[in-house]
Amino acid sequence: MARHPLRDTIAIVGVGSTPYGRDLQRSHLSLGLEAAVSAIRDAGIDKQEVDGICGSGMTPLAQGGAGFLSLQGSLGIERCTWGVNSWLGSAFVHAGAAVAAGLCDTALVVQTYMREPNMSRSASADPFRRVLEQFSDVGSDMGGGDFAKRWVHSGEPYAAWMKRYMHDYGVGKDAFAYMAVNNRSHGSRNPAAVMQQPITLEDYHASRMIWEPMQIYDMDVPVDCAEAHVITTAERARDLPNKPVYIHAMSLGGTRVGEFYENSLGWTENAHWVAAKGLWDRSELRLDDVDLFYPYDGYTIDAIGCVEAVGWCKPGEAGEFLKSNWDPADNILRLNGRTQVSTHGGGLALGRAGGANFYSEAVRQLRGTEGARQVPDAKNALINIGSFFHDPSAVMLRAD
Amino acid sequence: MRNYGPIDDVTVFELYPGIQLTRDNIEHYRALAEQKLVINRCGDCGYWIYPHRPMCPECWSLKVKPEEISGFGTVFMFTLLYQLRDPKSHIMEPVPVAAVELAEQKGLRYLSRIVNCAPEDIAHDMPVRLTWIEIGNMEWPAFEPVPGGLG
Repeated sequence: MARHPLRDTIAIVGVGSTPYGRDLQRSHLSLGLEAAVSAIRDAGIDKQEVDGICGSGMTPLAQGGAGFLSLQGSLGIERCTWGVNSWLGSAFVHAGAAVAAGLCDTALVVQTYMREPNMSRSASADPFRRVLEQFSDVGSDMGGGDFAKRWVHSGEPYAAWMKRYMHDYGVGKDAFAYMAVNNRSHGSRNPAAVMQQPITLEDYHASRMIWEPMQIYDMDVPVDCAEAHVITTAERARDLPNKPVYIHAMSLGGTRVGEFYENSLGWTENAHWVAAKGLWDRSELRLDDVDLFYPYDGYTIDAIGCVEAVGWCKPGEAGEFLKSNWDPADNILRLNGRTQVSTHGGGLALGRAGGANFYSEAVRQLRGTEGARQVPDAKNALINIGSFFHDPSAVMLRAD
Repeated sequence: MRNYGPIDDVTVFELYPGIQLTRDNIEHYRALAEQKLVINRCGDCGYWIYPHRPMCPECWSLKVKPEEISGFGTVFMFTLLYQLRDPKSHIMEPVPVAAVELAEQKGLRYLSRIVNCAPEDIAHDMPVRLTWIEIGNMEWPAFEPVPGGLG
């Protein structure tokens, strides 16, 4: 086991989500503020109790967006002793780490997402979305006409890895199909989901080809939305109105190959495997204890990577594993006969939030407040958010 | 072959206005303008360093020098684009994008176009070699199947 002083010492006490929509005609900051206010109210704390903020985006200032400085000013929070912007799996982990380390006592995480102009024709015709692209910044060169840098921060290498995975293991697309159908089935039961219609395995295989072998149903749905979380100490959490959801263990993951995706290491050496090992080196809860599993589904190949990285099955065997853990009555996965997967519909059905909505759903399920969608007796949730290449998280949440 | 004459730093910046040129990658682009594909290499242990960085990750040597590659490799992974990010673009046949594993070193991959090959004939581990194609009045690297390599 690794050194692990944070075990169960911090908790999620507030969750806030905006509506999800294709075109909400709002700014990143407006969405982020709605989620933030909702999460702080849900936590039952005064806003001045927030003394740390993780905002959205990849650069420190992120002006015009929902960066931590803009959020602090807009929310009227007087003093923060900690602040950063982040995304994907990292944002939540950074905030939890800051509380655990004592850099702040109550951290607010805000993650905003918008449908970008390169994601659809109508989005590209919207001047508000085009100007976002003009001022977007991932901190570096995105290629600038050099084809060799095309895969810096690109989705295409996920398609290439999907093809290489199928080639190396001699498998078809079953694993991806089951994951897509599972998420759409759950989405059809979630009134917040942008995609309300369930799909069949046949629908999946017949869907439009985008980047061979990746099809449209392998890709999350671009939407406008925001999610926010309030994280504080376990001690403080016990005085607050909601049932505390504790962070039992968590890990990020990085490999020596990061920013040039084509140079990534092998399938079982990518960042998800590093994060998963980091978690298992710290968690006292094991896979058999997991009641709910939340693998990030920016692309289905990402979710399949998470399934294999955390050890539900051996590398290359996800197709067989998911097939044999399929519940045909509900058209959903029940891993080892019971563990439900992405109960909110994930990015494939609820909508694209960079994985932030997986944390929100896990917390609400562990609180036991999901009503008709509540999974009975859910105590432990495993969440894996992020990319093969960067910012992957592995997080074990638990409730009493 | 195009001749730009002596290619000084200012000219490299003029030729590649969209590239974030640094002191670690400028020799790569200077060579591209001369239709040479060069990759940084450790002058002490011989390790090839890509993306272009100023120190060898194997031995921490700072004696990093760009060196021309043989141009031979294999297709490690690829995808065929049926839809481009620019919604105004229409493509008649799928566009291949391939990570070519260069013969010089395991795991050393260069992202490139595959030309002189039907998209449906591209295969994992297929031997390819460097060629050059003109795009936007500039010569850019591409890879094509090695004749007889498929047999």
